[in-house]
Amino acid sequence: MSTTNPGTTTTTRTDTTPPPAGAPSTRRRGPRPGRIALNLALLVFAAIMAAPLVWLISTSLTDPAEAFRIPPNWLPIGTTTENFRAVGELIPVGQMALNSVMVAVITTGGSLIVSVLAAYAFSRFEFRGRSSAFLIMLSAMMVPAQLLIIPVFILMRTLGLVDTLVALWLPGLIHVFSIFFLRQYFNSIPRDLDEAAILDGAGHLWILFRMLVPLSGPALSALAILVFEASWNNYFAPLIFLSTPENMTLPLGLVALQDAQAGAAPATVFAAITMIVLPVLIVFLIFQRQFVASIATAGVRG
Amino acid sequence: MSAAAALPTPSPAAPSPGRPRRRDLRQNWLGYVFLSPAALLFVLFIGGPFLVAIALSLYSWDLLTPPEFVGLENFTTLLQDPVLIQAFANTFLFAFASVLTHVVGALLLALAVNALASRVVSYLVRTAVFFPFIISWAAVALLWQYMLDPGFGVITHYIDRIGLTPPDWFLDPAWALPAIIGIDFWHTLGFTFIIMLAGLQTVPKQLIEAAQTDGAGRRQVFWHVTVPMMSPTLFFAMVVTFIGAFQIFDPIQIITGGGPDDATLTLVMYLYEQGFQSFRIGYASAVAFLVFVVIMAVTLLQFWGARKWVHQQ
Repeated sequence: MSTTNPGTTTTTRTDTTPPPAGAPSTRRRGPRPGRIALNLALLVFAAIMAAPLVWLISTSLTDPAEAFRIPPNWLPIGTTTENFRAVGELIPVGQMALNSVMVAVITTGGSLIVSVLAAYAFSRFEFRGRSSAFLIMLSAMMVPAQLLIIPVFILMRTLGLVDTLVALWLPGLIHVFSIFFLRQYFNSIPRDLDEAAILDGAGHLWILFRMLVPLSGPALSALAILVFEASWNNYFAPLIFLSTPENMTLPLGLVALQDAQAGAAPATVFAAITMIVLPVLIVFLIFQRQFVASIATAGVRG
Repeated sequence: MSAAAALPTPSPAAPSPGRPRRRDLRQNWLGYVFLSPAALLFVLFIGGPFLVAIALSLYSWDLLTPPEFVGLENFTTLLQDPVLIQAFANTFLFAFASVLTHVVGALLLALAVNALASRVVSYLVRTAVFFPFIISWAAVALLWQYMLDPGFGVITHYIDRIGLTPPDWFLDPAWALPAIIGIDFWHTLGFTFIIMLAGLQTVPKQLIEAAQTDGAGRRQVFWHVTVPMMSPTLFFAMVVTFIGAFQIFDPIQIITGGGPDDATLTLVMYLYEQGFQSFRIGYASAVAFLVFVVIMAVTLLQFWGARKWVHQQ
C-alpha cells in the first residue's frame, strides 16, 4: 500500500515534475477548491435555467386534476397522455404543424436560392449600379419589420392573400442579411477557380452551384439554421395575416388555444407548449454544435 | 476578373473605343439576371413598403374611406400623445435593462465557463443556457405566465416559501415590466452568451500569458487584455441586443397586452394597437417611422462611440 505503483500515479506526477520537452502544458489540472465551488455554482445556474422545461414536461404528463398542485410536481404523477389528446380536440394542431413546416421550409429553401443568386451577382459580375444596389440592400438591414408590415399588409390585401400561408413565406424570400453574408463568403473564394472553370467551358450556373455552393457549406448551413428558426418561431407576421385556425402556424395556434378560455384547461395548454417545444429541443440536441456555430460565426463576422 | 475590375466606371457619354467587349456586355447583362429575383422581392417587400410607410405617415386613413392628406399632423399629435410618451419610456427602459443585463451577464458567464468549467459542466451550461433561445416567444410567454401565476405558479410558491410576499406580477404596474425583463433574460441570454464565448476564443493566449509574466493580476489581465481584445464582440452584442430589445412585442402582446395601466406598453405594441385594432393606419405608420429613426440614431451613436473604445485589429 505504501509503495505506490508508478503506473497509476503518472497523471498526478506530471504536476510536480517538469513535463518532457514538447509536451502540452498541464498547469491547470490540479483540482482547487475554488474551482470546484465555481463549477458547482455553474451547475446550479444551469439547473435553474432548465427548471421551467422540467416543470413544463412533467406537468403536461400529469393528470389534469393533479397538475398544478402545491408544492409543484417536478416529476410527472401517473404519466397520462390525456392532455395531449385534449389539444387535438381544441385546435387542429396537426394542420398547424404542417403549416409551420411548410412555411419554414419554403422560406429557408427559397430565400437561400434567391440569396445565393444575388450574392453571386454582387461577388462575380461587374454591372452598372452594383455598388449602389448593394448599399441600398445593406441599409435595409436597419429597417425594422414593423415599419414595413402595414404597407405589406395592404399589398397582400390587394392581392387577396390575407389569411393564406403565401402571405407569410413570400416576403420571407428576401433576406438581406443572407445576401450580405454569402457575398462576403464568395469574395473569400479565389476567382482563379472560376477562370479555370470558364476555360474548361463551364457556365455561370455550373460555377455557382457546382463550385461555390459546395465550397460554402458552413455558411449556408449557418444561414439555413438562422432563417428556419426565425420562421418557425415567428409570431408577429402570422398574428397580422392569419385568422382561420386551419391556416395558422403553431405559435399563433398556441396563443389562440390559450385565449379560447371556454375550453382549454391549463394542463392542456401545457401539453400544447410541450408539443411545440419538444421537436425543437430534439433537433437542437442533435445539431447543437451547428446551432452554436451559426450564432457564433454571425457574432464574430459581424 | 482582373480585366473586368480594370474597366473604368461606365460613363453614359462617349464610350471609349474598344471598351465594351462582347464578353463584358454579356457579364453585365447576366449580373442583372442573377440579381433580378432578389431585386424584385426587395422592391415589393422592403424598398417599396419603406417609401409607402413614410408616405402613409402623412395621411389619415382607416383602410375603408379614402386616405386624406394631413401633412405632419400625425407627428405633431405624436409629440403630445401622453400614451406614446409612456410607451417610449417603457421601450427605452426595457432596451436599456436588456442590454445591461444580457451583456454583463453573458460576459461573466462566458468568462466563468471558459476559465473554470470542466468539459461536462461546460456542455451542460451551454445546453441549458442556449435552449430557451430556440423556443418561440409564444411558448415562452405562456409558460412563464403560468410560472408566475399568483395561484399555482412555481416561482410564486418558492418566493412564498422563503417568507416573502410575491407580487401579483402582471396585474401590478410596478412589477409587470420587471417581470417581462426577467423573462426576456431567460429567453435571450443564450444568444449573447454564445457570442461572448466565441469572442473569448479570439483572445490570443500568448497575450494573456505575456501579461501574466509581466506580473499582471487577474483584474489587470481582464481590463487591459481581455476587454480590449473582445471589444468588437462586446460592441456587436450591444448593438444587436439593443435593436432586438427596442422592437420587443411578442411577450407583451401575449401576456399583458400593454397593461396594466400601460405599464408594459411598448412602441411596437402601441403601433399594433393603433394600426390593427383602431385602424389608424397613418398614425401607426408615424409610430413605426419613429421606431426606425430611434434605432438608426442609437445605432449610429453606438458606432460613433465605438471609435473611442473598440479595439481595431
